[in-house]
Amino acid sequence: MVSLFGCTSKSGQSSGDTQASQPRAKSVASQELLDTSFSGRDASGGGLRGLDKNPSEERLGGRGSLMTRADLRGTGHQMEGICAEQATAAGRRDVFFVYDSFAITEDVRIALVHNAKWIKANPRVQLKIEGHCDDRGTSAGNLVLGEKRVKAARNYLVELGAAPNHLSIVSYGKERSACEEHTESCYAQNRRGHMLLKTGK
Amino acid sequence: MALRAGVIIGLCLSAGLIWIIESGAADVFLEATRPDFQKIPLGVAEIKNIGGTESPEGRIRLGNRIEEVLKADVRRSLVFSLVDLSSMGLRLDHLGTDPDPSFKQAGEHGVSVIVWGKAGMKSENKDADVNMEGYVYDAGSDKMVGGKRYAGSPSVVRLMAHRFADELVFRYTGEPGIARTKIAYVSEVGPAREVFVMDYDGHDPRQVTTDGFLNLMPRWSPDRRFLVFTAYRNRNAQDIDMIEVATGKRSTLVSLGGLNITPALSPDGNFLVFSSSQEGNSELYRMDTRTKNLQRLTVNAAGDLSPSWSPSGREIAFTSDRSGGPQIFLMSVDGSNVRRLTFEGSYNAAPAWSPRGNWIAYVCRGPKKEYKLCLITPDGQQRVQLTVGQGVDDSPSWSPDGRHLVFSSTVGGKSQIYMINADGKDLEQITFTGTHNSAPTWSPAS
Repeated sequence: MVSLFGCTSKSGQSSGDTQASQPRAKSVASQELLDTSFSGRDASGGGLRGLDKNPSEERLGGRGSLMTRADLRGTGHQMEGICAEQATAAGRRDVFFVYDSFAITEDVRIALVHNAKWIKANPRVQLKIEGHCDDRGTSAGNLVLGEKRVKAARNYLVELGAAPNHLSIVSYGKERSACEEHTESCYAQNRRGHMLLKTGK
Repeated sequence: MALRAGVIIGLCLSAGLIWIIESGAADVFLEATRPDFQKIPLGVAEIKNIGGTESPEGRIRLGNRIEEVLKADVRRSLVFSLVDLSSMGLRLDHLGTDPDPSFKQAGEHGVSVIVWGKAGMKSENKDADVNMEGYVYDAGSDKMVGGKRYAGSPSVVRLMAHRFADELVFRYTGEPGIARTKIAYVSEVGPAREVFVMDYDGHDPRQVTTDGFLNLMPRWSPDRRFLVFTAYRNRNAQDIDMIEVATGKRSTLVSLGGLNITPALSPDGNFLVFSSSQEGNSELYRMDTRTKNLQRLTVNAAGDLSPSWSPSGREIAFTSDRSGGPQIFLMSVDGSNVRRLTFEGSYNAAPAWSPRGNWIAYVCRGPKKEYKLCLITPDGQQRVQLTVGQGVDDSPSWSPDGRHLVFSSTVGGKSQIYMINADGKDLEQITFTGTHNSAPTWSPAS
């Protein structure tokens, strides 16, 4: 357990250190510690258990005690790929939801009608709908809310005649905000169903 | 039901937040730590600098550095109260292994424990080993009752202080200290979110996941070897992955399709409860970690998520919006005996059951759409709001000693990680770098 974090020490043997205590500690500590509020006194005498009047040296773990250095190569590349997809998503309209809701409002409906027409005019494209939320509320709650938003948008597009197998969804909750300010206009930008073209596979 | 008598005590804290305790809560808070517990007055006399070497910043004063870390650990232990010995006119330097005669005088003034020692490099070589010795004087017996000697590379200087602090807590209470616990959390790396682990005081952050996608909401295994979390690297669904912290070895635990989030391992490690939308809306499932057998725990048209095990492993707190907005519910581990716990306010979510079992922390929404931390007893009889003010507080997680909570907050603008005592005192920001630090989760004690 201790060695998990690289602390290659003798802590597991701490209680055994008591035996090495000097006799002069015993007589006093066992009586007088009883009069104090300490609950950690050593019933066998010898001062505090695990502490030693002439302590032997314990070696603590070296550098990287937690883990081996992480291999950071490749970090971020995958997301850059995803961002590149977004650049090709022009022509569709994102939809914007109201606070704490996945309701298809009139504004959402108008944008989805526009998108459905575009999808039917481009029947071979694959569209991915990303669900985003403003940062109010919990991470978990917003992931679920983001999924409800994209499912509501997808279902409405299917009702309007889009092919379900050409629509995929993902919820990012409040994890990939378009902006970070705590203002109503920023919150509104983040409550979006983002329509992007899937390229490649 | 909940105590709502309006006596409010407010104190401005360093980060600009305010804490409040509702009337009657003072008794409750003592219970939150331990009944009738009196902190033990402890003074740190001096960790003397010995040896040493020159560096670009000048002389490395290892003793001072260890003393500073040790004092912070002692203060955060909430087992000891840190006494300022210098104000008592004690002679604090040139100490050997024998206690200074003036310690007795400090004892007569109410100081129960005095700690001192020395630290330094073994040689002038900057990569030379560091040695630390720490000794404990007990006023009750008027004796030096023990000590510790540590050696290690210069990179473990903080660990030496943490080890000594945990030793003190353990010897005086029989409980493990928290100075060597870790906090896992999520931080922004370019466009990705990766899981990191840092010391409980915010030092020494290390990146654990490196895949460049989103990795969210980590939780520890009870043996603190592994983290389980939501992974976006499978681009068609969000899986639950597990990573061994020491090696970075990673595997997928749950790959059901849909959104699979908020994993939580049972206290014995035998079951994983999580939320999955594989069948449509988010429901809670329980997976046997050995057989991979899956049992669905919730069945309704609403979202069910964010499970938190009771320390006994018999019950689960979770968030559900089956009654409209999200509220906290409790159920037995087989999904039976479901009952609603929170009734105050229209948004209560992200429950975290305390290690002693007597409180459940959660995110509660106030009338101005502020998302703050609240505590409620599992019987619903007592409720306390822990934080107030601006910003969104999220993801409360208990320290293994049940005396602290760690959480994320946007109170300072960007999301950062904060620590607070279970009684609402000592709010402390523990991350400062990075643009988005979130979803902290406290490791079990070692």
